[in-house]
Amino acid sequence: MAHATDDHAAHGHHIIPIPTLLKVFGALVALTAITVGLSAFDFGMFEIPVALGLASAKATLVVMIFMALKYDNPVNMLTFSVGVLFVAVFLIFTLLDTAFRGDMDNVDRLTIEERERLNEQLQESDVDAEDLQVAPSDMQ
Amino acid sequence: MSTETAPATTESVETEHDHHPPHLQHHFVSSEQQFDSAKLGMWLFLITEILLFSALFVAYAVYRNWNPMAFAEASSTLDWVLGSVNTIVLLTSSLTVALSIHFIQKNDKQKTVISLLSTLVLAGGFLVIKYFEYMAKFEHGIYPGEAFAPTGSGYEYLAAIPYVPQFFSIYFVMTGIHGVHVVIGMGLIGWMAWRAHRGDFSDEWYTPVELTGLYWHIVDIIWIFLFPLLYLV
Repeated sequence: MAHATDDHAAHGHHIIPIPTLLKVFGALVALTAITVGLSAFDFGMFEIPVALGLASAKATLVVMIFMALKYDNPVNMLTFSVGVLFVAVFLIFTLLDTAFRGDMDNVDRLTIEERERLNEQLQESDVDAEDLQVAPSDMQ
Repeated sequence: MSTETAPATTESVETEHDHHPPHLQHHFVSSEQQFDSAKLGMWLFLITEILLFSALFVAYAVYRNWNPMAFAEASSTLDWVLGSVNTIVLLTSSLTVALSIHFIQKNDKQKTVISLLSTLVLAGGFLVIKYFEYMAKFEHGIYPGEAFAPTGSGYEYLAAIPYVPQFFSIYFVMTGIHGVHVVIGMGLIGWMAWRAHRGDFSDEWYTPVELTGLYWHIVDIIWIFLFPLLYLV
C-alpha cells in the first residue's frame, strides 16, 4: 500500500520494515524449537547455562528489534542495561552465598558466636576415657 | 485543547510550527521531547517489572540449587507441549503488537486495529491454555503452599519427595503473577484497539500504542525465561 506520508511518517521515528519483523519472529520460533529439542539431551551442569543462553538470545532479539531499542534514544538502552546489571548482581551475589554454604571447611551453619560458645563448653567439660570409647556401631 | 491556548513558554515551538498540535502538553517543548519522556518513563517502569520478577527468579535459583533432583522430578510433571505452544502463542502476539506500531506509524488505522485485536485473541488463547494446565494440576491436588496434597497415578509419589511443594509454589506464583500481567496487558491492548478505531492515533501521535507495545514485549520476555526454567530443565 502506497502512502503519501511515507517520507515524513512518524516524524523521524524509525519504522521497522515488516520483513525485518517477520525474520525476527522466525528466529524466535527457531530458537524456541532448538530450546525444546535440546531439552531431550542431558547436558549435566551445562543444562541451565544452555537454556539461559538461548532464552537470553531470544530476549535480546525482542528487546533490540520488537522494542526497537536498537533504533532508540540511547538513554533507554542505558536504563535497560543498568536494570539488567542489577538483576545480575541480585542473582549472582545471592547464589554466591546460598550455593556455597557448607562447601568449605571454614563455613558452618552455626554463627561465629555459637561456635565460640560451643568450643568454650567443650574446653570446660571433662573428657575422660569413657567418652572416648568407640562402639562397634560407630564404625559402620 | 485548541490552538489558541498555547502558553507563552512554547513561543519557540510556535516559530517552528504554525499551530500547537492537540496532543502536545504545554510543559513540553516539542512532540519529540514529549514522546522521548514518555518512553523513558515507560522503560523505568519496565525495569521495576523486571526487578519484581527477578526476585522470583532468584527464589527459583536458590531452591533449585539446593534441591536439583526434587525440581527435576516436579518439573517433569508439567506439560512441555502446552508450554511450547504457549511460547509460540506469546511470540506471535509480540509480532502482532510490533506490527500494530508499524501500521500506526504508516497511518494505517484499519491494520493497526486488526493487529491489536489479533494480539488480544492470542493473549486470550494463552490464558485459556494456562487455565487447562492449572486445572490438570488442581485435579491431582497440586496446589501452592500448604494445600499441596498430590493424588492419582503419576503424582502420588511426589508427596514423598521433600521440596517438591516448593517447586509448585514457585511455579504457581511465577506463572500466576505473569498471568495477571497478561490480563492487564489484554485490558490495555483492548483499550488501544478501541481508541485506534475511534481515530485517536495517527503517525503524528501514537505514544500510548508504543508504550502498551513495550509492556506487552516485557510480558513476552518474562515468559521466554519462565518456559525453559519451569518446563524443560
